[in-house]
Amino acid sequence: MEDFKFLFKVVLVGNAGVGKTCLVRRFTQGLFPPGQGATIGVDFMIKTVEVENEKVKLQIWDTAGQERFRSITQSYYRSAHALILVYDISCQPTFDCLPDWLREIEEYASSKVLRILVGNKIDREDREIPTVVGEDFAARHNMYFLETSAKEAENVEKLFMKIAEDLMQQARSKDLPRYDSITTNISGRTSSISDSNCCSKLT
Amino acid sequence: MGNIKEMEIELEKLKLQEEMVFKEMKNFVTQKTYVDAKIKVLSKILPTLKTLKVETRGLVDTIHSIAESAESISNKVRTLDCARNRVEECQQRVGDLIDLGLCSEGVQTAILNEDYEKGAAHVHRFLSMDQSLLRKTATDVENISSVLKAVGTLQDAASQLRTIVQLKFDEAVRMEDLASVERFFKIFPLLDMHDEGIRKFCNYLSEKLKDTAEKNLHAALNTSASDKRHNVKFADTLTLLFEGLARIIDIHQPLVETYYGPGRLMSVVSYLQKECDTQVKLIMMEFNKHRQTNKKINQISEISKLSSTSSFSKIEKVDPKDLDILIQEITIMHVRMELYIKFIKRKVISDIEISVPAIDERNNSIKQLDQLINASDLSRSKHDLLSLYLKLEQYFMEESVSKAVGMDSTETSQQTSSMVDDTFFIIRKCIRRTITSGSLDGICAVINIACGVLENDFCGVLRGRLRQGYPSGYLDLTQAYNVLQTSIQHGRLQPSDTEQIRTAFIVALNNADSSTEYVETLCDSVLTDVQKAIPNLNTNEQGKLESCLSGLSAVTTNLKEVIEYGMQQLRVSVIKPRISPWVDSFLNMNHQFTEDELSEYEAGESFVQTLIMNLDSLLSSFKNSLTDSNYDGLIKILITEVTARLEKVVLKSTFNRLGGLVLDKEVRSLAGYLTSATTWSVRDKFTRLSQIATILNLERVTEINDYWGNHDGALTWRLTPTEVRTIMNLRIDFKLEDIQRLKL
Repeated sequence: MEDFKFLFKVVLVGNAGVGKTCLVRRFTQGLFPPGQGATIGVDFMIKTVEVENEKVKLQIWDTAGQERFRSITQSYYRSAHALILVYDISCQPTFDCLPDWLREIEEYASSKVLRILVGNKIDREDREIPTVVGEDFAARHNMYFLETSAKEAENVEKLFMKIAEDLMQQARSKDLPRYDSITTNISGRTSSISDSNCCSKLT
Repeated sequence: MGNIKEMEIELEKLKLQEEMVFKEMKNFVTQKTYVDAKIKVLSKILPTLKTLKVETRGLVDTIHSIAESAESISNKVRTLDCARNRVEECQQRVGDLIDLGLCSEGVQTAILNEDYEKGAAHVHRFLSMDQSLLRKTATDVENISSVLKAVGTLQDAASQLRTIVQLKFDEAVRMEDLASVERFFKIFPLLDMHDEGIRKFCNYLSEKLKDTAEKNLHAALNTSASDKRHNVKFADTLTLLFEGLARIIDIHQPLVETYYGPGRLMSVVSYLQKECDTQVKLIMMEFNKHRQTNKKINQISEISKLSSTSSFSKIEKVDPKDLDILIQEITIMHVRMELYIKFIKRKVISDIEISVPAIDERNNSIKQLDQLINASDLSRSKHDLLSLYLKLEQYFMEESVSKAVGMDSTETSQQTSSMVDDTFFIIRKCIRRTITSGSLDGICAVINIACGVLENDFCGVLRGRLRQGYPSGYLDLTQAYNVLQTSIQHGRLQPSDTEQIRTAFIVALNNADSSTEYVETLCDSVLTDVQKAIPNLNTNEQGKLESCLSGLSAVTTNLKEVIEYGMQQLRVSVIKPRISPWVDSFLNMNHQFTEDELSEYEAGESFVQTLIMNLDSLLSSFKNSLTDSNYDGLIKILITEVTARLEKVVLKSTFNRLGGLVLDKEVRSLAGYLTSATTWSVRDKFTRLSQIATILNLERVTEINDYWGNHDGALTWRLTPTEVRTIMNLRIDFKLEDIQRLKL
């Protein structure tokens, strides 16, 4: 038996080149690999964190941003517990595509999925999207919002820890018995939250 | 007096002193001879010491002089060494000069004789000489002009040869003279033209490749529809292209390695890759045109837009069966690309490993290779193909499963219906097909898609059928079922709507149960199949696969929820309404027997006998129609309901001693019957009821102490002390104050 109590799937999406892989690398390995090539298909990383003295295993799926990998990446939305939608604050087109991404999320992901909007690359001087614009977009679509820099390791840890905490809270609230169960035989399964009824309101 | 005494003492002292002096003198006398002998020996040694001193001094001088001469010798040796090196250099220069002369003489004749190998060998010899040294040598030698002339000749000859060889090579290519092509290809490195040689040669090979590939494609396009390879003609064309490329690389690698040295394969591959890309693009273009892939994808997305609420819709424009053949071809094409890329990688990496010793540099080269491959049109085509494949496969899976569900039929002898076998056949087929594509990302995606189809669509259908409920009907259920069974057996089945819904309900419940087994088997077989098809998965890839598979096996959780939902339906509509009146009849009975009444009661049909008979007929109506594990589930519900209800009615009754005795007996026989009906122990479910019966069966109030407390005979009680007291109060013969006096 592995040494963790909760297992959550986190999927990163967003246009090519916004820094999804760098965010994941920064969080899982503490690295900022310069000259990162485009991700092919889907990459997979695992990091175990501790929340309220409980071991939480985060399974992070880093998807390719390029269009031609869309049919691979879409297949991962359904089972995701959290979806991180990333844009580049120094690149307007990556922000303009957000509604398309949201449509995709609506279509393929569970309606209960925890959704987070992330504006990456705040280390850059040539900002094109003011913070308030990102905040506004996130608020309108009921998403948690954070600006990060994978390069300077800013808010990266916070982003993933926040997700782990929120998902754990959801899982806990669902752990309560639903009915007088006579055949509770879902033995040995790690609690996960495929159909949690907890709303993902984050502040 | 005093004086005399003192004088006597003094005298004594003196006497003692005298004695000691005598002794000492005697000693001296005896030692004298010894000392004399010593003195004699010493006086003899004295002259020897003097010569010793002189000789030592001589020795020191000798060592000094030896050291000096050694120093001078080593100096000489050093000079000699230096001299020898100079001689060697000189010899080399002389050799070079002689060779220079020979080469300059020979090179022209060789060129005139069209013996380019010899000419190039002369030039190669010349190029291997240290050019600056050669010039310096020239100034040292008397015959300056001749050396310079020779250098000049050779330099001219070199450039002349370079031009000639290039021309000859081009000519050989034009003439398609393979022998000459190879002949001049071998000359390039002699003239320090490695890159040029490889470029020209690869261009030549690319041309050859192009011709063959175009011929192959043309032939493929003209394949008649009746040809049995018609359905895979593009896969065949692609296969021929890659086989051709692989053959070229295999044949020419030794040639390149022998004449150009190791480490050149990367540039060979990168030149060939350009032609490969062009050809792949051509094939893909024709493929997309002839197989109408765009049209199909558009149709599919139209359909999914029209029925976005569910993938099970009535609109069917593309028959999944028609896609089957196309999907098959795509997987073949994909795996060919995958294999070719793997082949190139393996070849080039082993070439890099031979030629680049430094780890850093080696990793850099490997990175370069990855970039070369990832940036190629071949990779891009491969990714596009995978994307196309996944869209078609998803549609195929969803539509085929929806068809299987739509054509669902139940054989009367089967507990499950055809949709389970059919659905899992389709899903296994799709997953097996994706495994043959050779792409882990593709495999994972198809597993994910299968999860979606099973969890949403398949489970949804089962849940929908269970939502119809199990109508209990007006007839007694047992009777209804018997009617149904006999009419089925006699083959004159005209089941009423109610019966149909019942059958559908039971079948859906069984389907969910057997699907859990299917899912587990599927997961196991997929894991082994993938490991067989793609050996050497790294830990990350393994993790990826396992994670997707764990998603698939989690479908069993959904199925169990479906079963649970169905069981609750049965509980509410079948078990509860039946059981309540049966158990409630307990309330209408007398539980305060006299001896006579007791024997009368036992002679007749007792409460528990009637109950068991009723339960038995209820269960037997389900026993054959439910799968084993569903039947077990049903019994669990039944037991819970019966024990809970019975507990309730017992608490509403009052007992005397004999009434308690009868109850205890009846509870035992009920537990015995239900144990025999199942394969697992039901004792646990009966604990509370048995304990209640035990209390009601006590002789005296204080007898409870035999069972309560911390001693060996004590029971693990499921009842609280308050409950125990309440139950004791049901015995009309137990006194309230006795009960209250108990220490529990």
